[in-house]
Amino acid sequence: MTSLISIRVIAASFDPEKEIAAFRRAHPQSGAIVSFLGAVRSEDETVSQLTLDSYPGFTEQEIARIAADGTARWRIDGLLVIHRIGALAPGEPIVLAAAAAAHRRDAFCAVDYMMDYLKSEAPFWKRESTAQGDRWIEPRAADYADKKRWAR
Amino acid sequence: MPTRVLFFGRLKDAAGVGERIVEIVDGERSIDALIKRLAAGDDALAAALAHPSVKVAIDQRVVDRATLIGAAREIAFLPPFSGG
Repeated sequence: MTSLISIRVIAASFDPEKEIAAFRRAHPQSGAIVSFLGAVRSEDETVSQLTLDSYPGFTEQEIARIAADGTARWRIDGLLVIHRIGALAPGEPIVLAAAAAAHRRDAFCAVDYMMDYLKSEAPFWKRESTAQGDRWIEPRAADYADKKRWAR
Repeated sequence: MPTRVLFFGRLKDAAGVGERIVEIVDGERSIDALIKRLAAGDDALAAALAHPSVKVAIDQRVVDRATLIGAAREIAFLPPFSGG
């Protein structure tokens, strides 16, 4: 089964509602649309900015590989991943992952899987800016454990 | 042939630049030899590049550390990824 995979790594902010609406319109036959939106946490007021770097070309290629693995596991009509790079302010959308499928379980699983893999397998590097200076963020043990849930 | 060496994440800070151009010559085709050359006596940089958590990609393909560098256009040092 072929499915439509769309991956965008972008430096400008995006409107998640508009993207989800466009994704729904692109999959009118799908009975289930699941989406996940990740935003820069603002609970911790010491963080003034998050900066994400990618490796142009390689990053897209690796996300495509992860997405292809994911869509091979479940019956998916379409998959959308939008990931920000550049400087982000607290509250700003950083990642949107959406899946369209005939049934909800496939769509839920595909999005859950994509997010677990994006956390620790997609080539992005994240830097946090605080009043005390900048620091690079690396995946936590929990992120690697999340990914292991999908091992088979 | 000149080869671009790319540093990402914290390795960019450690190297002081995001990119360097080197000439890979016979007898210096191991990744260890490249690290030694890039660090040029900077032990902290050498250790950071050699760290097991760092992946090495040659022409956008992750390779084993023991790989010998052939006619590479681009070599990247990739510290642990953190997306989402």
